[in-house]
Amino acid sequence: MAGLIVQRFIQLLLLLIGISFIVFLSMHIAPGDPASIIGGPTASKADIKAIQENLGLNKPILVQYWDYLKGVFTGDLGFSYQTKQSVTEALTQRFPNTLNLAIASIIVAVVIGVTAGIISALKHNSLFDALSTIIALGGISIPNFWLGAVLILIFAVNLQWLPVGGLTEPFWTIEGMKQLILPALTLGTGSAAMIARMSRSAMLEVIRADYVRTARAKGVREKSVIMLHCLRNAMIPVITVIGLNFGFLLGGTIITEQVFAINGVGRLMIESIAARDFPMVQGAVLLVATLFVLVNLIVDIVYAFIDPRISYE
Amino acid sequence: MGKGNKLASWIGVGVLAASLALSGCSSKSSSGGTSDGKQEITYATTSKVVGLSPILTNDSVSSSVIEQIYETLFVRDIKTGKIVPQLAESYENPDKNTWKIKLKKNIKFQDGTPFNAEAVKYTFDKLKDPKTAAPRASLLEPVKSIEAPDDNTVILKTDKPYGPMLAALTHSNAAIVSPTADKKQDLMTQPVGTGPFKFSKKENGEDIVLVKNKKYWKKPAKLDQVTFKVVPEITTAVSMLQTGKVQLLDGLTTELMPRIEKMKNVEVQKKEGTPVYYLAFNMDKSPMKNLAFRQAVAEAIDTKSYLKKLNGLGVYSNSYIGPEVFGHSGDSGPTFDQQKAKKLVKEKGFGNKTVKLLVANTASYMSMAEVIQSQLKEVGINAKIETLEWGTYLDVSKKGDFDITIAGWSNVTADGSELLYPRLHSDNVDVTNLSRYKNAKLDKLIEESRTTIDEQQRKDLLKKADQLVMTQLPVFPIYHGVASAAYDKSVKGFEIEPTGQWSLYNVHRE
Repeated sequence: MAGLIVQRFIQLLLLLIGISFIVFLSMHIAPGDPASIIGGPTASKADIKAIQENLGLNKPILVQYWDYLKGVFTGDLGFSYQTKQSVTEALTQRFPNTLNLAIASIIVAVVIGVTAGIISALKHNSLFDALSTIIALGGISIPNFWLGAVLILIFAVNLQWLPVGGLTEPFWTIEGMKQLILPALTLGTGSAAMIARMSRSAMLEVIRADYVRTARAKGVREKSVIMLHCLRNAMIPVITVIGLNFGFLLGGTIITEQVFAINGVGRLMIESIAARDFPMVQGAVLLVATLFVLVNLIVDIVYAFIDPRISYE
Repeated sequence: MGKGNKLASWIGVGVLAASLALSGCSSKSSSGGTSDGKQEITYATTSKVVGLSPILTNDSVSSSVIEQIYETLFVRDIKTGKIVPQLAESYENPDKNTWKIKLKKNIKFQDGTPFNAEAVKYTFDKLKDPKTAAPRASLLEPVKSIEAPDDNTVILKTDKPYGPMLAALTHSNAAIVSPTADKKQDLMTQPVGTGPFKFSKKENGEDIVLVKNKKYWKKPAKLDQVTFKVVPEITTAVSMLQTGKVQLLDGLTTELMPRIEKMKNVEVQKKEGTPVYYLAFNMDKSPMKNLAFRQAVAEAIDTKSYLKKLNGLGVYSNSYIGPEVFGHSGDSGPTFDQQKAKKLVKEKGFGNKTVKLLVANTASYMSMAEVIQSQLKEVGINAKIETLEWGTYLDVSKKGDFDITIAGWSNVTADGSELLYPRLHSDNVDVTNLSRYKNAKLDKLIEESRTTIDEQQRKDLLKKADQLVMTQLPVFPIYHGVASAAYDKSVKGFEIEPTGQWSLYNVHRE
């Protein structure tokens, strides 16, 4: 296990250098100049030149990249071109919101997805199964921005049960939880649908296995058959999907954060790309990539606990 | 301006569909501030505040906060549109190149230090210093020296007479900062000015909270606290206004007007504004450099009927300098005449080539482009729309990689010279003169309008310049903007300026 972790960390390091280089290069090659955006359409030629010099954008690209990389290795992710705020500080401020949202969404997704998947499998070819398949298909197909806006109109504007947006209160308070409900539902629905489909097919496969038939023949109670014999064995592919989805949720909160006015990493990323705020984009991408790799590592470790046959030695 | 994107417009479409499905909205008016009797207001902004130093920022959202914290030497009177002193007491021109400005006495910055001529000199020197890299250093570019002979006198000297000087001094980028605070701290995060509100804190990493400046040099403001809340999605901001979570929203969009105007707890204020939205022809390319082509395009577009689609957010004027901008001279351009346009296109063979219509991907520009494309098609001109994200658009449009583009100018100084010089003077090709227009006669008129001090003479020069523009048509105005805001009915005393700016000084809640 220790070997796996060390190996993954070395991979992570190489991956991050690669990602930083690609992001750096693509941001510089892409049209759009940070100085023009800071200056706005009214800035004169001299105004823009002064801003470019101030930001060091007149140096050769490789020199700029090397300066950046040196900073990263000493823990300095640089400063925002636009707001002059430290990138590390901006990410630290916003990451808790994204993490809260992603965790709440994955909880929604797992609870809805796994439950619906198991019931569908147990009641295979029933009305519930058909309905849940249709809803799951809908869940995957409905775009977040539409679902979010509709949920706001129903629950916040018309019924006024929940707040319109924002994630301003701590999640352990009632107000904080109320603020999390709509964004988590919006973001979690797509993942719930995927998890439901995966749980259903994994359960169907296991239910028909010989050892399940044997357990039933031995007179084991149905509840124990399902919980102990089926569920645990069906979980490996489901956990893979949950892990992957959690990784995606951490990096894919952009639209939900936008619709619900949540000050998270996703929104920071989209705002910074629009403003060609290179240091901020790089910092955010590196953070999301690191988390993605870490989540996958955790999933691999969890496998070993669920299925003792899996070993990394 | 222009920070929306395709995502936002898709979200808009989604919400519009949802609004239709959910008819019968409920509204909630929030009554006067908070339960403890404090007078508070929350304003929703769709973009984040970049920073709070007037010297280092040039975005409209930062400006809206900056205008509550800092003050300028002069302001435009909201009723008459005339420039009147604010921190200044009076001014005189001993000669055409000298502006002797007397300052008001006994004014203090929010940090307790005195506002005086040294502070003005410090601010303007810093704004002009190339090392500062101020985005609007060009505002005071003609100023060669700033002197402070005594505590209450500032002397600005120029090489050539500078007509729009007072207009430039009304710009929020020329607001006066506390030198002591600027040397001690970063004004981007800890601003100090002389205004009616002072910075209190940043909430949730991005919302700005201001509190009343109790030692304001005039009667203190009625509001105790003002919050600038970032709500990136405009439809969400409207929902917040409807549920009373925010009380003020500005820069309303056409597609949301029907929903906002139906809300029972909300009042809408509209005022003819200074922005102009127009077509810029690339004068370096054919057939755009042919006057007949530009005339055909101008006559093909039915601007009056387009205005009806804007739900009251635009006004008609067939001149480049709009009705609320100094130097406006009445309509003088070509009017809608489809038959004439058709004839011109046929005679000159303009239908043979497809022209590229470049637009930034804001919802309003994209829908304008579609209308223009279909109207051009009716007279036989084929236009292909190319949509670009804002940052890319800025680059591409400056390089002239288009045939026709939709552009806008907010005219924050409300002065015609400050529209014509950046947009149509040959000095600014490759930067702000998107039409790449070079006309010695127009250059001269613009220069004279900038170097003349007498207001009437300036007005005459701008009138001539505008008429020349509307005959030569390097640009063709589609409409002039309307400044708009929506606010909770408990908000009283709010007034928006034609430039879209507003002060919360006289605002209170009932």
